[in-house]
Amino acid sequence: MKMSKTGLAVIFAAYVLVPLLLGSNSYVMSLIVAAMIIGGIALAWALLGNLGGMVSFGHSAFFGVGAYVSAILTMKAGVPVLAAMLLGGAGAVAASLAMLPVLRLKGPYFALAILAYAHIFKILATEWSSVTGGSAGLASVPRFPTLMGVDLSSKTGSYLIVLSLLLVFIAAYRLIRSSHYGIALRAMHDSEDATRVVGVNSTLLKALMLFVSAFMTGVIGAFNVHYINFLEPDYAFSGLWVTLPIVAAIFGGYRTILGPLVGAVTVYLVDQLVFKNLIPSGHQLVLGALLVAMIIFSPGGLMPLLRKGSRRKHAAA
Amino acid sequence: MSELIMQALYSGVLQGGSYALIALGLALVFGTMKVINLAHGELVLLAAYMAYTVESRFGLSPMFAIPVALVLVCICAVLVYFLISLIRKDRELNSLILTYGVGIILTNAVLLIWSADVRSTSSAWMQDALVFGPFYSMRSEVLFFVVSMALMGGLWWWLSKSWYGRAVRAVSSNRDAAKLMGINPRTTEIVSFVVAGILAAFAGVAIFSYGVIQPAFGHALTVKAFIITVLAGIGSIPGVMVGALLLGIAEALTVTLASSALQELVGMGLFLLVLFVMPNGLFGAAGRRG
Amino acid sequence: MNRISSKIGLVAAALSLHVGGAFADEILVGAEIPLTGSLARVGAGMHEGISVAVDVFNKTNGKHTIKIVTADDESAPAKAIAAVEKLAGDGVVAITGGYGSNNIGPASDAANKLGLPYITSGGVAENLTERGYKTFFRINNTAGYQKAMVGLLDTMQIKSASVVYSTKEATADLAKDVEKELAAKGVAVTLHAFDPAITDFKPIINKVRLQDKPEVIVMVGYENDYVGILRAAKVLKPKVKAMVGVWSLATPKMASDFPDLMPSVYGTALLPFPAEFQTEEGKRFADTYMKLYNKAPDYLGQFGFVQSMILFEAIARAADAGTLKSGGIAQELARTDRQTLIGRVQFSDKGDNLNFVHRMGQHQDGKIAIVWPSDAATGKMNFPGVPW
Repeated sequence: MKMSKTGLAVIFAAYVLVPLLLGSNSYVMSLIVAAMIIGGIALAWALLGNLGGMVSFGHSAFFGVGAYVSAILTMKAGVPVLAAMLLGGAGAVAASLAMLPVLRLKGPYFALAILAYAHIFKILATEWSSVTGGSAGLASVPRFPTLMGVDLSSKTGSYLIVLSLLLVFIAAYRLIRSSHYGIALRAMHDSEDATRVVGVNSTLLKALMLFVSAFMTGVIGAFNVHYINFLEPDYAFSGLWVTLPIVAAIFGGYRTILGPLVGAVTVYLVDQLVFKNLIPSGHQLVLGALLVAMIIFSPGGLMPLLRKGSRRKHAAA
Repeated sequence: MSELIMQALYSGVLQGGSYALIALGLALVFGTMKVINLAHGELVLLAAYMAYTVESRFGLSPMFAIPVALVLVCICAVLVYFLISLIRKDRELNSLILTYGVGIILTNAVLLIWSADVRSTSSAWMQDALVFGPFYSMRSEVLFFVVSMALMGGLWWWLSKSWYGRAVRAVSSNRDAAKLMGINPRTTEIVSFVVAGILAAFAGVAIFSYGVIQPAFGHALTVKAFIITVLAGIGSIPGVMVGALLLGIAEALTVTLASSALQELVGMGLFLLVLFVMPNGLFGAAGRRG
Repeated sequence: MNRISSKIGLVAAALSLHVGGAFADEILVGAEIPLTGSLARVGAGMHEGISVAVDVFNKTNGKHTIKIVTADDESAPAKAIAAVEKLAGDGVVAITGGYGSNNIGPASDAANKLGLPYITSGGVAENLTERGYKTFFRINNTAGYQKAMVGLLDTMQIKSASVVYSTKEATADLAKDVEKELAAKGVAVTLHAFDPAITDFKPIINKVRLQDKPEVIVMVGYENDYVGILRAAKVLKPKVKAMVGVWSLATPKMASDFPDLMPSVYGTALLPFPAEFQTEEGKRFADTYMKLYNKAPDYLGQFGFVQSMILFEAIARAADAGTLKSGGIAQELARTDRQTLIGRVQFSDKGDNLNFVHRMGQHQDGKIAIVWPSDAATGKMNFPGVPW
């Protein structure tokens, strides 16, 4: 868990220089915040893929549940926003408990079973209107508070919150990866049968990774709802929260920790600033092509591709 | 009440016919390659839009679109196969992401070419009512139900009698043994993609003839097809048929007996229930659990 | 000859451009609108209306010139916020556009924070105006659709109705409001909600046919839903006297795409088709629309046009008063009171159009006749009447 000098410099720049230089341009700031939201989901998605060996097409389930739990707790029970965000993450974990039975399933079955959950949660959010506001959704969801003189609901304030969340996620990811769970998980990658023989309970480990991934996604979903101040079922469980993170994670390299984040910022900004101007309707086409090209030419993502020249031993997690 | 239920059963069966066509294509490819083609629904949609073009441009019945749709969809299906064959490692999971990407490309290509407007046939003949006693439907629904039954009969015959069909079955059940018997798995894989494309082309024209299409519709079709293959269990054509009819009937009965707002919930619920209770599906052989 | 005339045209165009640029102060207005994503179609329709409004305003005003800067919100809330902020960065003085309450809410929130007036016709949710922003204005609302539907059913003097509605936000709201008002009038109403993903409506219509046996079927959905419902009804032939829908139904597009499904079906419509514009403004609108897009205007274009014209006029007044940058536009918008293509527009202090009442049209022989309210009617209601 050593922190390199460049790492510290990047963190310093992110906390101080970005707000100072770009803070006044709210358009650029909102692009960055949106990219970081995608980055957070991409990180959680990649953690599940890298450590758990599972592909998910239903992370919108965690995102939506986290958002609804946090919004409802702040609006109906008066829970403070920051505490409610953590509870939103806990809510997503609770939702993932329902998915434990499908953990036994092989790759494609798990990937699509989790998608079924996202559909089910969306229909529940629409039908359970006494709590969720139904299809009309929840408007005027409380904003972030002012803390120690910093208005967290401003663009810069929101940026600082999501930045801190991502840093905590990165630290947690590193901790897990270097713990003996991480080692067992890596062993499981090579041979699930072998780990069973040596007495590692692979389903339990997978479940733990699912919880961590769900928690992260839920917290990001909760962050987003207090940032946008609005929530409805279609938006909370939108395919948007699946497609972009997958593209970002695959593009950046889902076997690395920073890859999904770098991928999210790159893909989101290039998509918004370049592709959108080139092909106004249907610019997602480029994202699809990117996904196909990455899987064929460099399934490990861009980060390993860049690093190929000076490949080190620990390229893979 | 009984009249209501009779009609629900009938509607469900007709709907199940086209579900079965789509699901069979998905199941065939999964059988030979162990790959779920997440762009399968988009291939179906492509055929539906071909039917739209033929009808709106040339004023012809959507039926005339079938040859064009067959060619186009089969070419696309083979292209998807070709892309998948380029994957070097971890094909089971990487192919999911790859075909998901192909689905995004096709959805947006459809959006660019045909715009976001909703489309459906304007042919009066297709939409006219066909009534047998207490059973009501449109002509197009019955027509394509018959077509899909014929196709499935043909498929069953092909799989059990023809050399290629038997090769597909052999590769599905035991790849290595099939290789030893002199079957080239690559050829059978391509064949299974082409057959899936043929089924998708018919299903697409069918959907245009009795339903409404829009660019984002493909993904929902893939999900439905996957639910059915899970219900059926892999490797069973009668299983897929029964699974499709079951889903169609369950949806129609939900609308009739409970609320139409819950229709989609039933499919998903059925899917999870089968996964939990009988993870090998209603008709499948063992071997899905990890 | 052709070449010469085209040259003259070019010179004339260049001159007019030059003259236009010489003494006009060009004012930037933002259009935040979905051009991609699920709302791409309706967004594009509204955008056509906005462009027509710019053309008409710049030709008739003479003093001020408006220039539109468009930002696609991709039918997504976060991108709607970003779009508004981008437009603010470009220096626009106000925003026209927006579709879907879930995008309009956050976008107008952002606009309010930036002090930009926001005018729309794309979101009917109650909670948009409940916020009480001084910068938010909309020219239509659920109540106006509800009044029109209930008004039409009143003239039919029916005793029972089945409401078939999509569980989406705008449709569910409207369906429940209509049900409440009808029930209060003593009409027997049954509600049937359906999932937007549903394609086969026969089981629902069969329930209506065998259990409810209403006099009228009320459909609250979107184009694909109407097609499905009408097809199912055409097959099952329930003994009803009328099929009544809402938006996107009594349109020329539906008449030409589905000629067999539409006869005698009702839907909200601002104008008959073929459009007959009585007013000067209406004629200018239709001509410009034809010139720019080579087709007859639809309701999306009309709403987009009206909201933008009202905004542009308020901007002109504020510019004359020198209050363009000091909140003058919102004040001028609040003072709006004029006849438009959608009737008289006046705003409440929450920014809602006080007078908005939609009209009901009926498909008749491939055309659309306005049949409610009686003072705007262009044809006789074909009642009872159904497509089968």
